[in-house]
Amino acid sequence: MVDFIQALGSGILVGLVYALLGLSIVIIYRASEAFNFAIGEFLVIGSFLFYIFFFDLGLPLLIALPLGLVAAGLVGALVERLTIKPLLGRSPLSMTIITLGLGFFLRACVQLIFGSHSYSFFLELPDITQEYGDLLFLSDPIWAGMLSLCTFGLIIFLLFRTRWGLAIRATSENQAKAMAFGIDARFILLIVWAISAACIAIAGIMISNFGALSSMSAIVGLRAIPVVLIGGMDSIGGALIGGIIVGVCESLAGAYIEPLGLIGFKDVAPYLLLLIVLLIRPYGLFGEVRIERV
Amino acid sequence: MKQRAFFVLAFTLSLILLFIGPLSAKEIKTLSQFPMSGPVGSLPEFGWGFIDGMNWVNNEGGGVNGKKIKWFLEDMRYSPKVEIANFNKYCAEHSPDEFLIATGYITGGLKPLIDKVNKEQKIPWLDGSYSAEIFGPDGGPIKYPYYYSLGATYGDQLKILLKWIKENYKGKGDPKVGLVYSPTAWGRDGLAEARAYAKKKGINIVAEIEYPYSATSATDECMQLRKAKAQYVIYHGYSGASGCTAIFFKTAKKILKRAQLMGTHYTTGRMPILVAQDAYDGYVGVATRPFCDAVPRAKTPMDNKMVKMAHDFAKKYRPEEYKKGLRGGGIKDMFLYMDGMTYAFLLQKALIEADNAGDLSREGVKKALDNLVWDFNGMFGGKTFSYKSHTIPMLQIFKAQVKLVDYKGKKVPMGAVVPITDWINVDEVKW
Repeated sequence: MVDFIQALGSGILVGLVYALLGLSIVIIYRASEAFNFAIGEFLVIGSFLFYIFFFDLGLPLLIALPLGLVAAGLVGALVERLTIKPLLGRSPLSMTIITLGLGFFLRACVQLIFGSHSYSFFLELPDITQEYGDLLFLSDPIWAGMLSLCTFGLIIFLLFRTRWGLAIRATSENQAKAMAFGIDARFILLIVWAISAACIAIAGIMISNFGALSSMSAIVGLRAIPVVLIGGMDSIGGALIGGIIVGVCESLAGAYIEPLGLIGFKDVAPYLLLLIVLLIRPYGLFGEVRIERV
Repeated sequence: MKQRAFFVLAFTLSLILLFIGPLSAKEIKTLSQFPMSGPVGSLPEFGWGFIDGMNWVNNEGGGVNGKKIKWFLEDMRYSPKVEIANFNKYCAEHSPDEFLIATGYITGGLKPLIDKVNKEQKIPWLDGSYSAEIFGPDGGPIKYPYYYSLGATYGDQLKILLKWIKENYKGKGDPKVGLVYSPTAWGRDGLAEARAYAKKKGINIVAEIEYPYSATSATDECMQLRKAKAQYVIYHGYSGASGCTAIFFKTAKKILKRAQLMGTHYTTGRMPILVAQDAYDGYVGVATRPFCDAVPRAKTPMDNKMVKMAHDFAKKYRPEEYKKGLRGGGIKDMFLYMDGMTYAFLLQKALIEADNAGDLSREGVKKALDNLVWDFNGMFGGKTFSYKSHTIPMLQIFKAQVKLVDYKGKKVPMGAVVPITDWINVDEVKW
């Protein structure tokens, strides 16, 4: 039972970070119906930008974090202006394919600037490790889970309790109608990419704080794929549930199935689960069922 | 008429010199391949060390008894396919009488080339692989006569660590050891030998955990080790200190507070000090080379001749890169630079020995390597080794001493791995 609670708790904490990654995919998808495959590279770039402010320039965390997120958001906005905006009005598939190429380009840029070796990443946050007998939850994953959850809440507040959020939601419902009501849909898309890039950066910073940062950290971005496909591509709540499901699934597979000799099953388990979910609910657990005329 | 005859003679002689001359001047050609770029890592230092080493060999070093080596260097980008393709290309383009020796760096390239190198080309091949499968008891000179490794196998590295555990264990019962390795053929290499040796020595392997390089967390792995009550954890790590190594050490320091963290060659060195920082303090590991790059670099002990030579070379030939260090295209870890140099020196040594024996051919170089007894420019504290086993069988055990210090308002790591044993020749160890 202790093992189960341990695996469950660890899975939920890391799952909250995955949920944030999922959210960043969902908001872009809702705004433009494009899937951002460059999420891993955004994660690395956002983390490195924070690294520069916090570790290189030595700014206090409370200054370096907002600066890093603003910088990550600016990169997101710049990328949107240069690569996504010219494709507006075309098939969302074109944008999705552009993000694939963008991923390769950004990866090469990161390796050129920062090299491909690992960088030490210790945030020195207050130790809030929880230990109850054999149960142990380390401080860093708890911080990661808490900060991800707070960011998630902040984004929901922005989307559902502010005028900006209303404009974003209106644009995601129907771009043409939103523009008819005076909303600058192009600017909204820019904002969405910036917010998404900042969310990814937070997830990247939290994950890097588990040990180190390198261009290889981009691989974590792939975890967002099962998250959004399980939760539903257009569901914000689905991203949260999907993230937790993926985190728990990984953790339980690591605790119970891998010791049986099925090494590496932990990485595969979310994708197996994804296949099962897609067979039963092709639009994900909370995704909107689309009826298209052909 | 006489004038015409003179011109005809001169023209004929020129033609003879032009075509026959180069054929008679046999060249000494070598091919070396290092992983200098690619998706796994950017390690140009290997190439820099090799280039500087070979330039020295051909000039101040006197070449091969005065003859210059025509050396070729290729970046195989961590790809066995590239390594194999390069080798095939050079075999096709250069005569076996001139192309006398080749070097590679990864096990993945060795396996597909077994027949080509050992049966078809019969060319001596020096490699950075520590594969127990190729160079251990089930492989070795009888099975792969033309393969040579530049370090003791992973099997021997793991066995030396287990031996150290047995000799230093002061608790009750058998020591409990956990093994952590990557889910790759390389990561699993040497484990069978380690298991058998542990059984023989009465060491209890309580957990064997595969830990992938894509890991974002090591909590599950460390909790399994804690549950198994591992007193020693041997981390059979990756090249350099990739993020996953730092994640493991950082997590293990918190979850496995009483366990002694240990590791093999690629976890013993400078990069873990820089990345894992104080989580690396107290680590005990084995390495095939002397420690050559403290943090900060200026604190590196220079009592080892080869280490001093590597630093002198880097300061002289790569001053900018030496100064830059970790950032902006500098020499991240002097081990990489020194390892490039070791290939250059070993190539020269083997070729000189073959030339001295009057047989500057592939077979002659092979014989020279088989009979080599050398101290490798003082690399092993003056101890010599023989290449009979086709591995340089020297190992040393180190302990990490790392602390965080304040530097310009920041906490930065400072430390080194210091030897806690003398150099051990594994060919002479009574297991």
